[in-house]
Amino acid sequence: MRSLKLLIAATALSGIITAPLNAHAVWFAQRAKQTALIYGVGADDLDAVKRFALIEKMTGYDANYQPIKATPRIAGPIVLVDTDQQPTLLSVVFFNGIWSRVGTGEFEKKGRDEMPEATLSEKNYKYSVAIMGPLDKPVPALADQALQIVPVGTIPTMLGEKLTYKVLYHGAPAAGAKVINDLVNDPDAKPVETAADGTVTLVVRNQGLNVIQAVFNGPTDDPKRYDHIENTATLAFVLAHAPE
Amino acid sequence: MKKILTAALAVTIALMAQPILAHGFTQPKHGGIVSMSGETLFELVMKPKTLELYVIDDDDPVVASGMSAKLTVNIGGKLQNIMLKPAAGNRFDGPGIKAPAGTKIAVLVIDKKSQAHLGTTFTIK
Repeated sequence: MRSLKLLIAATALSGIITAPLNAHAVWFAQRAKQTALIYGVGADDLDAVKRFALIEKMTGYDANYQPIKATPRIAGPIVLVDTDQQPTLLSVVFFNGIWSRVGTGEFEKKGRDEMPEATLSEKNYKYSVAIMGPLDKPVPALADQALQIVPVGTIPTMLGEKLTYKVLYHGAPAAGAKVINDLVNDPDAKPVETAADGTVTLVVRNQGLNVIQAVFNGPTDDPKRYDHIENTATLAFVLAHAPE
Repeated sequence: MKKILTAALAVTIALMAQPILAHGFTQPKHGGIVSMSGETLFELVMKPKTLELYVIDDDDPVVASGMSAKLTVNIGGKLQNIMLKPAAGNRFDGPGIKAPAGTKIAVLVIDKKSQAHLGTTFTIK
């Protein structure tokens, strides 16, 4: 009987700690020397090709933050990014659909109109900005990034140093956004909430790829179908390793 | 015998001191400046009236004729794109540019066949 209770408790707990829908994000990372768009969480580099149609917009920016063409391209099992000049920033807008669930049940890709018994319905957008080159000026709020993480001040060259980030929602500071410092290597970390001015200060964890994640809910624009819009943003940047 | 052992030990220690992952070319071969991107070496040679870009990928010189190369550089406050012409071997040629200290020169080389992109940004010192 005790074993049965333990089993039930463990099953319930596993249901809770299963990666929630909002855990997934998009970000840019290097694959075989090319820039790829990743969809996943932690070490899970999931099927971005299957989700290719969800990429609403991709843009590159030059050193003056003027937009340049950036085009996603399916290359075998991954999605690569083509630009015709070396970008300083890359950004993407990714529409992950409308999802609903009952209680703590599994999410289904339906709105409340199709699933009236749902206790939660949400529309999911994912955004990402990658810093691809040296910065001459602060990263601006980008018009197509409803939620965006920008570094405040100079990005350190060494891991272990602190860096302040500001989370912007439609260009304005987002207080209470939930931030994870290292989505790739520590995805289950307890999120830190941004202050009233939208900032949070964290220690840069990796002498390599750093992917910071922020989640912030915005109001619904279609209450019959979903309760809110869940926005997930990532900021990716790389600290260079020592010369070989 | 003791001297030989001492010398052998010194050589061994010297070899062990090398970074374990060090590999490949990292130094300029044409008197220019080098920017590494992973295992790709970009060497930029600035001359008064011309510039040359050399690209070595994983120790193999690329074949310039099969690639396109573009520089993006801030000239007089405006970013300008400069297409380079493939030249002999792994060299690309372009016009001379004025690049005072602090100038950033972004480079993008694209393999026409595979569409592989190789890029870096030089900061002139």
